[in-house]
Amino acid sequence: MSGVADPFDTLDIQPRFDVDLETLGARHRELSLALHPDRFVGRPASERRAALSKAMDVNAAKRALDDPVSRAETLLVRLGAAVGEGREPAAPPELLMSMMERREGLQQARAARDKTALLRLTAEVEAEQAREMAQMGALFAQALGGQTEARDAIVRSLGALRYYRRFFDEAFAVLDDLD
Amino acid sequence: MLLDIFDPKAAPRAIGIDLGTTHSIVAVLRDERPVALVTCDGGPLLPSVVHYGDHGSVLVGRAARAQLERAPQRTIASAKRYLGRAHAEAAAQSLSAVVLATPDNDDEARVVRFDVGGRVVTPTEVSAEILKSLKQSAVDQLTHVGGAVITVPAYFDDAQRQATRDAGRLAGLQVLRLLNEPTAAALAYGLEQQASGLFAVYDLGGGTFDITVLSLDDGVFQVKSTGGDSQLGGDDVDRLLATQILVVMGFALDEHARVPAEIVALALEQGRQVKHALTDAQEVEIAISVRGGGEAPFVVGRAELAELMAPLLARAARACRRALRDADVNVEQIDGVILVGGSTRMPAVRAHVREIFGREPLGDLDPDLVVAYGAALQAAALSGEGEDVLLLDVLPLSLGIETMGGGVDKILPRNTTIPAGARSIFTTYADNQTGFELHVVQGERELAQDCRSLAHFSLKGIPPLPAGLARLEVEFHVDENSLLTVTAREQTTGSVQTIEVKPSYGLTDDDIEDMLIDALENGEVDLEARRLADARVEAERVLLATQKSLADDGDLLSGSERVQVEGSIAGLLEVLGRGPAGEAKLSSSASLVQARLGALDDATHAWAGRRMDQAISLALAGRGVGKVASSVEKARGVDVQVAEHEQNRAPRTR
Repeated sequence: MSGVADPFDTLDIQPRFDVDLETLGARHRELSLALHPDRFVGRPASERRAALSKAMDVNAAKRALDDPVSRAETLLVRLGAAVGEGREPAAPPELLMSMMERREGLQQARAARDKTALLRLTAEVEAEQAREMAQMGALFAQALGGQTEARDAIVRSLGALRYYRRFFDEAFAVLDDLD
Repeated sequence: MLLDIFDPKAAPRAIGIDLGTTHSIVAVLRDERPVALVTCDGGPLLPSVVHYGDHGSVLVGRAARAQLERAPQRTIASAKRYLGRAHAEAAAQSLSAVVLATPDNDDEARVVRFDVGGRVVTPTEVSAEILKSLKQSAVDQLTHVGGAVITVPAYFDDAQRQATRDAGRLAGLQVLRLLNEPTAAALAYGLEQQASGLFAVYDLGGGTFDITVLSLDDGVFQVKSTGGDSQLGGDDVDRLLATQILVVMGFALDEHARVPAEIVALALEQGRQVKHALTDAQEVEIAISVRGGGEAPFVVGRAELAELMAPLLARAARACRRALRDADVNVEQIDGVILVGGSTRMPAVRAHVREIFGREPLGDLDPDLVVAYGAALQAAALSGEGEDVLLLDVLPLSLGIETMGGGVDKILPRNTTIPAGARSIFTTYADNQTGFELHVVQGERELAQDCRSLAHFSLKGIPPLPAGLARLEVEFHVDENSLLTVTAREQTTGSVQTIEVKPSYGLTDDDIEDMLIDALENGEVDLEARRLADARVEAERVLLATQKSLADDGDLLSGSERVQVEGSIAGLLEVLGRGPAGEAKLSSSASLVQARLGALDDATHAWAGRRMDQAISLALAGRGVGKVASSVEKARGVDVQVAEHEQNRAPRTR
């Protein structure tokens, strides 16, 4: 892995937040067909090494673009913004409060072994996340079109996405527990 | 078929091996269809049982299984369950007829060691005996055996995979690839003939359970998620029944740990027979010899067996639900369910699969052979003999590093498409710190002590600097076999650090080397001869490939690079006895050939990178498939040429 390549460039995909997942998958397949180690069995070591390193880059790029949080981070890096927890402004108190309540709800559902309550909570956050992502797509379109003020709004949105993801990680762990 | 036997110029044929818990199979592609070869037992299934007799004699298969009741200590069945495990884990296993050797030190405790009466063997060696027998069957029927694909449960961790690969090495096989069993099964079903779809592979074998969700798009299989339980299988059903049988025999439950191994083996065998009989019959009755004389009937019906198995199947069901969730798909989206493993013949298991997936599973291929068929197809594809299909598999269990507080910092999550790489940066926490310890673990639990320990890495030779200034970049590479390698580099000076690896489980390279030497008649001399022969084959292959690349992509070389490459080729030809001085240099050693290969490798490094970039541009320009097909064509040409070359020069070794 070279680690410096931009995932959009690696997969030759137009940089945007609402990326076409089908194109992403197709591009990943085409490149895997050319680079997967299975294609280089019996070839000289230098070739196998070069292909392996590129194949890992391609897989890492796919991984980065599949996930909305890292996709947003990738785009923000392209736009020259500082990303990463600690470097972003604090989340608004309303979001913090509602996420705290929901995570308490998760623990209550775990204690009561109430799968229905758990799924209801999850669906609620999923809907909110979908709205946030739609908004983010529009903001990114503006920011990539040169409107720098959209960038700050995106960074706030990204904070929310991070909270949703942490919630889902926890929700899945509870779901495993209740299973 | 007869032509295979009598053609003296037969090209090497790649083989696929299903190294199973209960039985093993070797298959090959014949007229574009996979067929299982006849093993030394006369049929396709070789029982995965090895018996160690007097004077170092070894029996494999049915002959070994016949010794199970008479000499349980000297007869090892289900060795696969012990691959990549430690002594303590095997010692904790209930109701087992094996006798473990007490480890004398920590190194010995890292592997399971069976005491087979006067000699000690590891599960890797036992598995190697099975592989050797299969290889011999293949050699007898194919004349010239090439590389091998060996299948492993998708859920096998790094230690279990390493142990499997080591067994292949010990058996003298060129292991092309470790292939996940469910992926192999999907390949065997020829699903690629459909345009696209989403499939689940439910694999309940003798000792392991795997569930895999995979998609098929444009001829590429992509594993979406995999899960399972590497300690759940048909053997557990035998054990449940054996427990009941022991009770009928007159042993109270709290006595079972002290029952003689012969009687445990008998109860397990009777349990297995009852289980098999219940696949066709609604109810089975057998007579059990009772302690103190006489007989008692043991009656079991299908419903009772299903009830007995319910907790096991519940574990499988949980794994299925998790795999679906990880793949982010609903059960309704699944287009087909494939059954793999002899245990899926049980009516209770079929009913359970129908219940989970709400559909009738596919079952037209023999669940015992389907994995070996897939392995044969993949082996053929990898050696350029077979159909062009690509399998994109995933890392089955998350990889992480233990943190200061005993937690786990995940570096690659489970279900990451492989090959995969990740990097972490570590800084020194003390002034003039010159070393670093890393503990790499695998698993999903939050605490490192609850995950599976893979290895401790000691990084040494960091330049002495104030605390926090030395920045250590550690790279993790997971290859297409899900095997991990770790490299480290100090960022300030850019020097690559020496890494000492202490694997938590399994044999070291030195152990394997010692075993190889022991197995050969003239020990080290033979091993050096084998190494030299291998190095020469590799050298010829690389030479041919490099000359071909020079013809195709020579324009991507600068003038001085070309001089370097050509010089290295001449250097390699010289030690192969093909330089201007002719055969005079024939006293070359394996290490000399390796060194010259290394020089050519260095000379072609940058060029290979450029050629790869060109391949990427072509792939992105939509001409990828054509280019790939032609490169496979090239690879096939090389293999055949190397084979012919070998045939002409070297006396046959077998």
